[in-house]
Amino acid sequence: MKKCITLLFCLLGFVELKAQMPHDAIYMNKKLACGALIYGHSSWTNYWENNLKRDNPNLGRLSTESATAMMAYGITRDINVIAMVPYVKTNASQGNLMGQQGFQDASVFVKVKSKAYKGITAHAVVGLSTPVTNYVPDFMPLSIGLGTKAAMLRGMLSYALPNHLYLNSSIAYQARGKVKTDRDSFLGGSRLYNSNQVPVPDAFDGAFRLGYLKKDNQLELFAEHFSCTKGDDIRRNDMPFLTNDLTMTTVGIYGKYQPKKIGVNARVAYVVDGQNVGQSISISVGVLYQFKIN
Amino acid sequence: MKYILSLFVLITVWSCDKSVLESVIEPYAPAKVDEAAGNWKTFILTSPTEVTVPALNSDAAYKKEVDSVKVLEITADQKAAVQYWGAGAVLRWNEIGRELAARYNIPPAANAAGVYPVPNAADPLADPKFPFANPPYTARALAYLSVAQYDALVSAWKYKYQYNRQAPYVLDATIKPLLPISTMPSYPSEDAVVAQASYVILLAMFPGEGPFLAAKLAEAKNAPLWAKVNVTSDVVAGANLGAAVAAKVMARAKTDGMSASNNQAIVPDLIANAKKVGLTTLWASQELPARPPMLPNYGAVKTWNFDRATLESIRPAIPYLPGSTEFTADLAELQRINESQTREQAAIANYWADGPGSYTPPGHWHRYACEAGVEAKYSEVRMARMLAYVGTALMDAGIACWETKYFYYSPRPQQFGLKTSVGLPNFPSYTSGHSTFSFAASTVLAAFFPEKSNAFNNYAQQASDSRVYGLIHFRVDCTMGGKHGKAIGTYAVQKANADGAQ
Repeated sequence: MKKCITLLFCLLGFVELKAQMPHDAIYMNKKLACGALIYGHSSWTNYWENNLKRDNPNLGRLSTESATAMMAYGITRDINVIAMVPYVKTNASQGNLMGQQGFQDASVFVKVKSKAYKGITAHAVVGLSTPVTNYVPDFMPLSIGLGTKAAMLRGMLSYALPNHLYLNSSIAYQARGKVKTDRDSFLGGSRLYNSNQVPVPDAFDGAFRLGYLKKDNQLELFAEHFSCTKGDDIRRNDMPFLTNDLTMTTVGIYGKYQPKKIGVNARVAYVVDGQNVGQSISISVGVLYQFKIN
Repeated sequence: MKYILSLFVLITVWSCDKSVLESVIEPYAPAKVDEAAGNWKTFILTSPTEVTVPALNSDAAYKKEVDSVKVLEITADQKAAVQYWGAGAVLRWNEIGRELAARYNIPPAANAAGVYPVPNAADPLADPKFPFANPPYTARALAYLSVAQYDALVSAWKYKYQYNRQAPYVLDATIKPLLPISTMPSYPSEDAVVAQASYVILLAMFPGEGPFLAAKLAEAKNAPLWAKVNVTSDVVAGANLGAAVAAKVMARAKTDGMSASNNQAIVPDLIANAKKVGLTTLWASQELPARPPMLPNYGAVKTWNFDRATLESIRPAIPYLPGSTEFTADLAELQRINESQTREQAAIANYWADGPGSYTPPGHWHRYACEAGVEAKYSEVRMARMLAYVGTALMDAGIACWETKYFYYSPRPQQFGLKTSVGLPNFPSYTSGHSTFSFAASTVLAAFFPEKSNAFNNYAQQASDSRVYGLIHFRVDCTMGGKHGKAIGTYAVQKANADGAQ
């Protein structure tokens, strides 16, 4: 059960900005499945317009709520598959921009591991995601997602320390495609493109985790850095756009309590620095249920 | 490991080509060369020879110039530039104008004191950048651009057939030009005429873009040399003609009233007038902090295709007042959309939104006009003529619509509790600018391309509806704006019908 919870909760940041992926070192046993329902809430009042940190009284506090259904399954002890789809709802506390809501993007991840060297285990995670509804991707910052298909590859090393402590570090690359928008022209940098196909820049991220895991209790601190490989910056007093080069550094804490079959846990993350992103604080909580598939 | 490998294969299949799908416009030979265009009636020039183009050099001197073009070797980049500009100088400079409009179409941010600084033409790259290329500004910039191109080209055509210089590849058949050949005389160069005239207008409209525009100008004037369709004296004469005509066009621009268009001092009088004519609820800025209304005196700018008395006589009647049955019905329509906007309604609202960071609705219609002109294989002068009528109709539409907006000073739907899915412009509601712009442009385009009149009319109707779907206009704003736009477009069509073009 503890495996199930850890596995799923490390995915949560992904829903917020598609920045993260399964990145823990814990695997479901063969033929073991775990379903979960998770509620997430993320919000910001300040954001970085390019490098300028500012608020916007015509948005107030921008909130994103999500309810995510997830499923993890152990094909073998060393190969797990994970799938999820979130329902997302946005709202601006001030101004007159209409909030958006709907099912966002469905994702599937496959995670494999292999003993590497002494106590170090190497992992590879591959993921694909695609929008499941025709939501509006370019009504930012109220859009529920970026509207792009994405393919992700993560490499990860985990190391067990004495006294139930562990270290985990990973890097990932996301290839992202073009988004078909309702508009038929857009600015990319200083160039005007007469096209409705907007390329979303690829991205990479790196993460470092230090945790304590004993029996059913877990506490983890993490730091993550996300950046696009290219892209433009939000122009002065303009709204964000799909072509933007997003950068952010996030720190957070994750904890779990597992008295019996039903588990609960929580994750809190805070963006400490960034460019072209909101300085969001995110929390998520959830319940899950584990079962065997024969 | 084999799992990882197969997953890599999946990624490769999944990731798609990132190149932007922009259609490429190829150089074409015009359907007609329009030999008689030198006699078409111009907008600003009183005669096509108001600016003098010097007589030709000696045949020997020309032969020497042709010989120097003949041996010219060009690079791959220069060849690409030839292909780019060869699609049409009028078209390309119109695109550049639209790109600049999009780059400058962002409202100024409030400063720490909660005040919105006014863009300063003398310091155009400071924050806020000058100009704020909103729809009225862009309509005007593109109108002057098109008028300058047209007048300069009519004059160029006059001199081309007066001097009748044969193109280098006609004089020397061993020269193989990189562009479709034409029977048209080559002096002065139409590419250089358009380039220099466009440069002058766009630099005046976007004064912070000197280096960008200078680079475009240099390439545009070199392209016909690299293509071996012109010699240097063609380009020099063309550039001089273009500059002189553009200076005359700018003389009108400098005195058309635009410099007073953002005069906020008249707002109390506008409000008093709106109350006097019967408005009970007035427009108020919905932004935080409240932003002064955009260009309250743009309605006083000089029109192109009708006079001030006509402008006042065609002004739409007073809008429905809150509390009336008609107003309540219009509000109810918006409330239904606010509750359950369909994805199709959102798509139409988004397609036509043309908000901040875009080339605005006037830019959208210039693009449609260019595409239709290219499809019809218009000559440069015919393209410029069509854009001049579309462009002046759009500017007239902006002026007449803004005059109407500030005459009534009517409230936006957001003052009645509605949200928007496209963003709310900061000026009174009635009538809809999109509706007025779009029907003015579609009326002109339908006259130039009668086989496409249904399509243009449908586009205009959709642009008009989009403002209801986006929840920022009442239905009456759009229907009355549309009618107004049609009337405005008709004045441009009447003028076009009498300009001597066949």
